[in-house]
Amino acid sequence: MVFSSIPFLFFFLPLFFLLYYLVPFRVKNYILLIFSLVFYAWGEPIYIFLMVLSSVIDYSIGRLMDYYDRVPWKRVCLLCASIFANLSILGFFKYADFFIETINSIANLSIPALNLPLPIGISFFTFQTMSYSIDLYRREVKVEKNFFTFMTYVSMFPQLIAGPIVRFSTVNQELHYRNIGFKGFYRGSFRFLQGLIKKVLLANQMGALWNTIQGQPYGEISVVTAWFGAIAFTLQLYFDFSAYSDMAIGMGEMMGFHYLENFDYPLFAKSVTEFWRRWHISLSTWFRDYVYIPLGGNRKGIGRQICNIAIVWFLTGMWHGASWNYILWGVYYGVLLILEKFIWGKALKKLPRILQHVYTFFIVVVGFTVFVFEDLGKLGQYAKQMIGMAGNHLAGTEFLYHFRNYGVLFLSCMVLAMPVYPWVMKRIVRLKQNWIGGMIKGGFVLGYVVLFVLVVAFLVSDTYNPFLYFRF
Amino acid sequence: MKRMVYQRIVSCIVTGFIWIGVITFLLLPKKTFSEQENKELEQFPKISKEAILDGSFIEGLEDYLCDHFPLRNSFLNIKTQFEKFLGKQEVNEVYLAKDGYWIEKYKEPVNNEKVVRVFNSFADSLETAECYVMLVPTAITVYQDKLPDFVDGGRQEENRKYLMGQLTAHTIDVGGILEEYAAEYPLFYQLDHHWTGYGAYLAYRVFGERMGLTVREMEEYRISEVTDEFKGTIYSKVSDFLAEGDKITLFELPDQKLKVTYVDTGEVTDSLYNLDYLEKKDKYSLFLNNIHPLVEIENNEAQSQEELVIIKDSYANCFVPFLTEYYQKIYVVDTRYYRLPVSQLINENPKVKNVLILYNMNTIDTDLGVGGIY
Repeated sequence: MVFSSIPFLFFFLPLFFLLYYLVPFRVKNYILLIFSLVFYAWGEPIYIFLMVLSSVIDYSIGRLMDYYDRVPWKRVCLLCASIFANLSILGFFKYADFFIETINSIANLSIPALNLPLPIGISFFTFQTMSYSIDLYRREVKVEKNFFTFMTYVSMFPQLIAGPIVRFSTVNQELHYRNIGFKGFYRGSFRFLQGLIKKVLLANQMGALWNTIQGQPYGEISVVTAWFGAIAFTLQLYFDFSAYSDMAIGMGEMMGFHYLENFDYPLFAKSVTEFWRRWHISLSTWFRDYVYIPLGGNRKGIGRQICNIAIVWFLTGMWHGASWNYILWGVYYGVLLILEKFIWGKALKKLPRILQHVYTFFIVVVGFTVFVFEDLGKLGQYAKQMIGMAGNHLAGTEFLYHFRNYGVLFLSCMVLAMPVYPWVMKRIVRLKQNWIGGMIKGGFVLGYVVLFVLVVAFLVSDTYNPFLYFRF
Repeated sequence: MKRMVYQRIVSCIVTGFIWIGVITFLLLPKKTFSEQENKELEQFPKISKEAILDGSFIEGLEDYLCDHFPLRNSFLNIKTQFEKFLGKQEVNEVYLAKDGYWIEKYKEPVNNEKVVRVFNSFADSLETAECYVMLVPTAITVYQDKLPDFVDGGRQEENRKYLMGQLTAHTIDVGGILEEYAAEYPLFYQLDHHWTGYGAYLAYRVFGERMGLTVREMEEYRISEVTDEFKGTIYSKVSDFLAEGDKITLFELPDQKLKVTYVDTGEVTDSLYNLDYLEKKDKYSLFLNNIHPLVEIENNEAQSQEELVIIKDSYANCFVPFLTEYYQKIYVVDTRYYRLPVSQLINENPKVKNVLILYNMNTIDTDLGVGGIY
């Protein structure tokens, strides 16, 4: 089930919160667990067993690690077992066909593909359970003795299918005791609404624009349109992904959980390094804490550091999907980060700020163009159209048509991708208590209500509403 | 802390909306058919183990919820108004054209070869009759100048010319006359994909001159507007409450005595129109009483003893009335539902000297009836 849908908004969510708020505290986790399992089963009735299996494994390993607290070698073995189990599940369900295909093409074999549908959210929940085992091994969290509580952590529906990757340490305490009240409900539901609006009115529309442009026959779109399309996709991905995080964080807050922020205006970054500090934060810190730093990070000399960066970015690319373009995309960032770190990073900082933004935005747009095409042949074709090598014009009237259809939304997205909204909000809150201030504040409230009605209108009419993360 | 107040108000209103939505959904009676959208609404899906495991139950449930959502039509309209407000030039694959027109896009054809093959082999199979083909350009060609700026609507005309070049039957080109009078008469409905009586009249002129008939001037008909509230198939796609309805105009010869037989139902009438449809949404169906596999129209006072077979889509329904005075009997065949070989009907009937195949260019590519022509 996706958040931005009529069944979720008008049935699942109200029913869940009604029960969740009515039952006594000790039952709340069970209600959450049951609804999460239903939520998952909604799209994947069979794979639910996989998620339960993954939870059973890591729960048992956790208990054993606790039991053998004073036997270091057993703890190491248990940690390895957990990592092995999680990576096996992930490897088998997500990458098996990719490996088979690669082996086939290298060794000229024809091993048949398994054609398994990818379990939704598998990359998220395996990373979550791994973080539990590793943190436990490092003695950074306490063991969880109640299986149902642990299962609740793994399956919690807000972040189950599209992140953020919530570490056990973040919610450990709140799993046992948390404040649930009106304040959290108001704040959380408001945040959820913001995410919903972002997803339905901005991301989906940019997606529709990108779909129209990339669906044109090869060579028929001008260079300007090709770039317009690539930027539209970048905006779609950012608004879509950050909208999911907003909705997850919002629903978490409504339940009394406090997840960490996942996006911090990444498209407004001034360097690629900064971009990755602001984009999908839960993933990049995961790789930082569980791969980069354990490998030695930057403490073992430049050669080793470059190697570590390369490994991390190869894995980051691969995490996003079992296809060469994602690996290419990861490596692209690895290379750029190394170059920024060792070659032009300092020079970049001396440039005027606006150029730093343009530089980063350019790199990000090119990156997501690689990201979006799983078919490298199509990527090549689209890239040719972007640089005018497809016998296409620099600009054409078709661009004006696309711009007329989507220009308003496109520009709104560009503006909202910058931290303009918090800036405006700060000023609205500080307004004096006179009639002008009142009007503006009233308009603000009315604006949100209208946007909500529009969201419902778009969802009811069943317009383009894709779920982008089934490859993750 | 002040920020909280506004969040609280928004949060309460939205939560209230959601609960009102839930409750009204549960209380409202469920319809089975949407007149507005002209479609069957999804029914509550059947529960079975297979349906749950393969996900079809859930899919059905989602469609069910969307289809029966309270105030669904108003929400569709709100969406259209918002898209217009954003400056969008198309909604649901329909262009927001000038002068109140909504014009459907032309989809790149994929069945050209099949159409040509079917038409040609059919024409070859006729033993005693001549085969004529009329491919009617639609609004996207005739009203090209009404399309939004920067839209190229030329593809349909290109393909019409291509198809006409490939056909072995005689072709009747009505493109020229429609474009000539495009500014003078409303040749197409603004909210429906059909042509109007005016469009059909012009096509009749071309057809009549080609067949050597004495063609009537427009003034000779009794012209009457039977409604001005026709909101047809395009309206169903765009749901624009602000759009004004179309007029439906009938062209009649008052003292014709006809016998119209709907062979499938056995119903016999003396009129080419079923005005009961004026009470419904799909008013175009008043022409020849909507869909029938075979309609026989007899006129004993016709100018000739000849008979005519028309193989057609719904464009012909308002075109046929112009021909009844010339033929003693006209067979109107809808090959989507007519299950016998039409060539047999023609070859066994020596009075049939001419056969007309009439399709509009926007749906010929996907028309299921084309496969039934043999």
